[in-house]
Amino acid sequence: MIFSPETWQITIFSLAVGVASTLLILPFGIVLAWLFARKEWPLKSAIETVVLLPLVMPPVSTGLVLLKIFGRRSPLGQWLYERGIEIVFNWKGVLIAMSVMSFPLLVRSVRTSFTEVNLRLEQIAATLGASPLRIFFVVTIPLAYKGIVAGALLAFSRALGEFGATILLAGNIPGQTQTLSLAIYNFVQLGKDPEAYVLLGITVALAFMFVWSSEWLLRTGKKL
Amino acid sequence: MRLRCHIPLANFDLDIDTSFESRITAFFGPSGSGKTTLLDAIAGLRAIADGEIEIGGRTLFSSARKINLPPQQRGIGYVPQEGALFPHLSVRKNILFGAERGADAGNSKRIGVNYVLDVLEITHLLSRPVTKISGGEAQRVALARAILSRPQLLLLDEPLAALDIGLKERILPYLARVRDEFSIPMIYVTHNVTEVLTLADWVLMIRQGKLITQGVPKEALRSVSAISQLADEQLENVLTATFIESSLEAGRSRVRLGSGVELFVPYSSRPNDSLCQFGVSADDILIATQRPAGISAANVLPGIVGGIERFNGEALLTVQAGDEFVVRLTSSAVARLELKEKLPVFLIIKTRSFRLL
Repeated sequence: MIFSPETWQITIFSLAVGVASTLLILPFGIVLAWLFARKEWPLKSAIETVVLLPLVMPPVSTGLVLLKIFGRRSPLGQWLYERGIEIVFNWKGVLIAMSVMSFPLLVRSVRTSFTEVNLRLEQIAATLGASPLRIFFVVTIPLAYKGIVAGALLAFSRALGEFGATILLAGNIPGQTQTLSLAIYNFVQLGKDPEAYVLLGITVALAFMFVWSSEWLLRTGKKL
Repeated sequence: MRLRCHIPLANFDLDIDTSFESRITAFFGPSGSGKTTLLDAIAGLRAIADGEIEIGGRTLFSSARKINLPPQQRGIGYVPQEGALFPHLSVRKNILFGAERGADAGNSKRIGVNYVLDVLEITHLLSRPVTKISGGEAQRVALARAILSRPQLLLLDEPLAALDIGLKERILPYLARVRDEFSIPMIYVTHNVTEVLTLADWVLMIRQGKLITQGVPKEALRSVSAISQLADEQLENVLTATFIESSLEAGRSRVRLGSGVELFVPYSSRPNDSLCQFGVSADDILIATQRPAGISAANVLPGIVGGIERFNGEALLTVQAGDEFVVRLTSSAVARLELKEKLPVFLIIKTRSFRLL
């Protein structure tokens, strides 16, 4: 067995928090993407831009913003701390950083899949008496589900690769907040190249798997 | 039905103000004249700037009274041009999609699922995915789905326009059956005269968003304003006839019109005594002032000129020959033959000019 217990811990921790962050943002992402794709509302384009910001901002800057929002000296951080919740420098920080960084990718991908759903089908469903909620769950979601799954996979891959925002919000604490990306950085810094290469191999394999399946889904999804 | 609406569109404004009481109403006009927009507005799928829609005393929309029922509450079945079947559901689930509302609506007569499937001949398709049925079958499935939501009104958007659908699969006979079996009022959008004459008992002619004329199809389509719309349309006579006898060797069938006049039409394997409709273009009928001899055309019908409408060098003749026929001639032909009202003439029609509808 070439994997050390430490390698296992890092890999499983990354995957677990990555999955958790994707599941966390999925419902919000779907609803928001639907609002972007199907509804007109005030400040829509401004909010769309804000949601997409983490995609283009330096991740470290996003991390700094998050640190200011969730740090114990901020009103929100203070409020959470009084209720026994600390975000900064533990796994919850990793979760928040991953979620925020991968959210735009999810929303973009899901929004596109919603706009590709033929509006006429939703309209006809309405004339047949289906409520907006029924239309959403019985027509829109099933027709867009490949795009939704692809978006979730993409978001998950992005979450696994997260570095800049995570290191600012959660630090790089072995056994507590250290993800694959942070660990690679750490090993290279310490001159432990062989350990870094093992982790590198794992990240390449995972990334390949997820992006490939995401692309495959989108390709076959078009045929529907 | 009361229909008044104003909808600004990109190239013109849709402005309709009318009311009509009819079973099957045709919205007739060229492509891009706003017919589909009008259907969307009636179904509640499109905003109306100003207007009222009232069906059977029930107000669906009124800008003055701030009433705007959502599509779910309008009780209007809509069969759009492309059918719009849900691609991820089976034929069965598509058909039953709106049946829930139908079951507890109780506003129209009970229409059984099996009955509808029988009438439209789609029972055998039930378990198939909608991607595995033909274009004509898809239209019938869409029609069944709309009927089973027990609508107060059925909207049909050019159901015969889909070009990939073969002659055999045409939905026209099924529409006639739906009309006769379920007594659901229908509004039918088309740019084809034949369809108007075959199905509708009232027609609204629409062009560039404006109502040009309305009335009983045979009359409305013959007015001068209507003819101007038909310039590049096939102007067709639609006749209802009964088969008397058919001969494959002779290549023709003999049929009898309601008036008793008998005609030869192209061979059809339809059983004797069965009823069907034929079309013959107004351009494919010759007029003679004396009975011709030594010609190949098998149908020579004596008749009397009923009326002549002139328009742009063309003349539209109505001739009473048992049934009424419409013939389109050039103005010069009318002058040469000295055609006028009450003049006895002969209609000459080739067997092969008739087309089974």
